[in-house]
Amino acid sequence: MSRAPVVDVAVHPYFARPADIKEFIPAAYRNRAIPGIEKEWYWAPGGEFAPGLQEGEKHPGSDPSVVAEHLFAGGGTEWAILNPLTRGRIADRHVGSAICTAYNQWLAEVWLDHPDAGGRWFGSIHVEPTDPKEAVREIERWAPDRRFRQVSVPMQVNDPFGKPQFHEIWAAAAQHGLPVAAFIDTGTASTELPPTGTGYPLTYVQYASLVPLTYFFHLASLITEGVFEEFPKLVFVFSDGGADMLTPLMWRLDTFYRALREHTPWAPEPPSTYLREHVRIVPSRMEGPERPETAPEWFEMTGKSDLMMFGSHYPRWMLATPDEIAEGMTHEQARKVLGGNATALYGLERTVPTGSGEKQTRSAR
Amino acid sequence: MTAPEREYVVGRAEDLPPGSRKLVPIGKFGVGVFNVGGSFYAITNYCPHEGAPLCLGTLSGTTAPQPGQEEDVQWIKEGEVLRCPWHRWEFDIPTGRSLSKPEKRTRTYEVRVVDGEVRVLL
Repeated sequence: MSRAPVVDVAVHPYFARPADIKEFIPAAYRNRAIPGIEKEWYWAPGGEFAPGLQEGEKHPGSDPSVVAEHLFAGGGTEWAILNPLTRGRIADRHVGSAICTAYNQWLAEVWLDHPDAGGRWFGSIHVEPTDPKEAVREIERWAPDRRFRQVSVPMQVNDPFGKPQFHEIWAAAAQHGLPVAAFIDTGTASTELPPTGTGYPLTYVQYASLVPLTYFFHLASLITEGVFEEFPKLVFVFSDGGADMLTPLMWRLDTFYRALREHTPWAPEPPSTYLREHVRIVPSRMEGPERPETAPEWFEMTGKSDLMMFGSHYPRWMLATPDEIAEGMTHEQARKVLGGNATALYGLERTVPTGSGEKQTRSAR
Repeated sequence: MTAPEREYVVGRAEDLPPGSRKLVPIGKFGVGVFNVGGSFYAITNYCPHEGAPLCLGTLSGTTAPQPGQEEDVQWIKEGEVLRCPWHRWEFDIPTGRSLSKPEKRTRTYEVRVVDGEVRVLL
């Protein structure tokens, strides 16, 4: 297929065995209990991981050579962004930050220079948002290393992201030109938070279909509390679905803004005007228009074709392929969503062989 | 060809002190005449959003950001901002422009005070 390079912005590496993280935990925290990496409930009925990806006893997504082969061997994907998840619940933010440090160290040592990936994947600087000072230190530690291309945080946090305690984290990310990606994941201090605003849903269908709503509470907070005015270069990536909720929720936010504009003078523009410069969304394969013939119009609503980026969520059960995400899109929409938007956001460049056998770099934008 | 402007006498200036308004039954929807700090302004009694009788709305000011100051919000335009009675959109009376959706505005008319008479040109 002659389309532009595909960028997979949501790949989740795992330790082969959960206890392997201990090797990378800072010494002061090595004696602490580290929670498991699996969700404690709301497990996907067919298993949390796509079938056929496990290598013997090792966790799916844990062997860089196997992951590189799965991602790149088919030839469709040009680059990937790696983002480990920290599913466990833990109350001590210091331990939470130590876990993030371990993940970042592990990515740097084991994954980012792995020869089988050939420089085609990049890391996320994972930080604990309830520990802002340590989060900033972690960003400062890794940001000069261009193998890392974004900061990542869990979506499930005890306050909306626009509140002042988080601003120093966003300031550090923006200063280094790193987008902030939020995955459906839990950090510390979210130990008592149910996944919805009204408690614990009974079934997995309730959980899985509606949990991305939390993104929109963060989004409304970031916009109306003026975070994007304060940090004009900040970009947030909502990395686990919800693109199909964007349009109606932004319509509502714009409507209420018009009536209550005076409450949010820090954000003088209608909320939806902040999306293009500051927000990206990674859709899941479960969402989108029901009939492909309506897709071209659907992907233009609220400018979605400029906001969406493809992410496979490898090796999770909701594994998406570029073709599934691009179904029904125009060629131009598919070009942007599958790779164009991501190459621009992450500053990815393609190295192509020239006729003389030398290599030259050209921009993929 | 546009109709020639006509001048309507809407009242005596001393009967319209600062902060007051008068709704007069002229034009298609009526016109609101406002005294804002000693200056007279007139706008159509019609909200460009959904057609509400705009001039019956609340007269107040609005907020503006004041970055870097101890108080990061300031109150501005006291007495110049009209809030529509239906959906609370804000309008700047001197310009007729909506603050809530700046591409929308309500029509404004010139006001003259001649020999103590307030006159609207329509």
